[in-house]
Amino acid sequence: MDVPFDPYTILGISRSATDDEIRKAYRRLAQRLHPDKNPNNLGAEMQFRDVNLAHNLLTDPISKRDYDLFIGADNHQDTYFTLRVTPSKRAVLDLPEEQVIYLLAEIFPAPQVGEGQRKETHVNLTLVLDISNSMKGSRMERVKIAAQRLVEDLSPEDVISVVVFNDRAAVIIPATNPTDKPSLRARISMIAPSGGTEIYQGLVAGVQQNRAFSDTKRINSVILLTDGHTFGDQENCLTLAKQAVEQGIVISAMGLGSDWNDEFLDKLASTTGGATSYINSADMVLRFFHDHVRTLSNAFAERLQITIAPDPDIRLEMAFRLSPNPQPLLIDDHVIPLSSLQANRPISLLLQFTLPPGMQKAFRTVARLVVSGDIMQNRRPHFKAVSDVSLEVTDRVQNDEPPTAIMEALSKLTLYRLQEKAREALEKGNIEEATKRLNNLATRLLEMGQTELAQATLSEAQRVAQTRALSAQGKMTIKYQTRALVSPLDLDTALTNYIATNDP
Amino acid sequence: MMICSECGHKNRIGMLYCEECGRTLKPSPVDTTEDIVAVAAQEVPQPVVPYRKLAVTPPELKIRGTAHLNDNSWLMFNFGDGEKTLDVKPARRLIFGRADNTSPLKPDVDLSPYGALEKGVSRHHAVLELKEDTLVLSDAGSSNGTYLNGQRLAPNQPRVLRDGDEVKFGKLVAHIHFK
Repeated sequence: MDVPFDPYTILGISRSATDDEIRKAYRRLAQRLHPDKNPNNLGAEMQFRDVNLAHNLLTDPISKRDYDLFIGADNHQDTYFTLRVTPSKRAVLDLPEEQVIYLLAEIFPAPQVGEGQRKETHVNLTLVLDISNSMKGSRMERVKIAAQRLVEDLSPEDVISVVVFNDRAAVIIPATNPTDKPSLRARISMIAPSGGTEIYQGLVAGVQQNRAFSDTKRINSVILLTDGHTFGDQENCLTLAKQAVEQGIVISAMGLGSDWNDEFLDKLASTTGGATSYINSADMVLRFFHDHVRTLSNAFAERLQITIAPDPDIRLEMAFRLSPNPQPLLIDDHVIPLSSLQANRPISLLLQFTLPPGMQKAFRTVARLVVSGDIMQNRRPHFKAVSDVSLEVTDRVQNDEPPTAIMEALSKLTLYRLQEKAREALEKGNIEEATKRLNNLATRLLEMGQTELAQATLSEAQRVAQTRALSAQGKMTIKYQTRALVSPLDLDTALTNYIATNDP
Repeated sequence: MMICSECGHKNRIGMLYCEECGRTLKPSPVDTTEDIVAVAAQEVPQPVVPYRKLAVTPPELKIRGTAHLNDNSWLMFNFGDGEKTLDVKPARRLIFGRADNTSPLKPDVDLSPYGALEKGVSRHHAVLELKEDTLVLSDAGSSNGTYLNGQRLAPNQPRVLRDGDEVKFGKLVAHIHFK
């Protein structure tokens, strides 16, 4: 009997639960997660399916005994990761108006994982490189050198493939183990730029190469590096990304220079759980490749995803990955891919929910979060961690300070949102509003000690007031630097990048 | 609504930073409708009609009890509907759980007389520690969880215990009083 999950965890009951408790737990959850009550919520639908499976298993005496005796005994010992959820408030007032609540969700690798994970995970890496005309000159040369150095650092058990694209794609290195490194380097050195930018062409060929070696032993990653806009094929790219994530392939995007479509690359990367990086100068490409591969080789779980099922009267408004690699997340279907979990670093997410007006005074549930992931080396597919979040609705005033972790994360995230709002105002042609927001942002950045970024923001505010537009570089700098602020570790990398690129 | 005292932007209740200017939204000392309106009245000239008055909560009235324990205080645990109580002298570290003949590990405070077994109390369920004059409670990785005022504690994540708090060991409910 193959049970890819722990039915007791799914139902939120103890192993010694009676039949009656099993039935009650099932009823309670089924009522909350039923598709009729949660239209257009794929996350709730997936959780509902699990709850049904768990119920069927535990109410059939023979399957239950089999599970308890054989599978459950093993499951019980092995926890690969845990999910900890902290709400911004433990109790809210029963007000006749909408309220907001934040949840900090952290996914921790289990402690024994770090110790047992001395062995590195091998990578299956595909580079998809833009070789359009705009890459000509030193930019192309530096990217080629970075790719060659990357090949040099790979171990013989890794897999590498390199695809280049302009209006069409060409496979420079078909997926292979990097054993004959000189010949691989030679092939990279022959890359010559020409033509336009059609990302879809490159992505199709890249995903195809990556898929050839997609297995549970290696972690699959496609890096798309581009310096330009793609036209007309964006929808195709996003469809392809959705297929890729189902096969456990994560697409990360690197935007080089400041003339690329940040909204599109963000969407593309978020669809697969990957991240977007802004690389101001080609000198930094190598460093980004390095960091990326190092992160991948620390992975011990892949195909990580979180499903979010808020109660029917509660709405998920926003989800943001704080760390690693801060990235806004797509919440449309309540299933959010998170790529891989590293053995030495938790994943933390901030979720924002709207609570309805006029809630009854009582303890109530808010949402059910389920994180699932495949443990590498096929040690455990579909491991799941569940958290049922509840709070008290009361008429008694609570004076609890929100948890520091939430305050800190949100103080940075608010800046990123301010930047977004300034851009929204600008798109609507509201110059005054945009300038005001940029000035506010600059003030907050100064208070935070981010002097350089504050100055950049201030000068962009002046530019907007005069020319009604942000400079291309300013736009990217403000967006990706405020985003990087959210995660101190990633900020370190980003700042080095910033300083390096601003040295004359 | 919470009105930002800096820029006057109306934020929804529960927001922690102003959406418009990014400043911290300080919850008023006592988070009642009156106080929110009071802030509003300073910033916005037109009169604001309070939409609702909360039950009488004079500011000096403590809503959650004190966290400070006197040197000679005892803790009273009031179980279930108040029929059974247990007095505990706080010590540096007390393990709450269920004594069990099959296990050599004995809790410092045995909850068996209060229906621990039926209510899913683990052998080592929760730890109560005295840090100077405050008490902190943490879950010791119990199967059915420890709840403080309705919220489940993450294992080994200590939380301050106050007078009047409700603690749940699995399904065993206890109200705590300092005396």
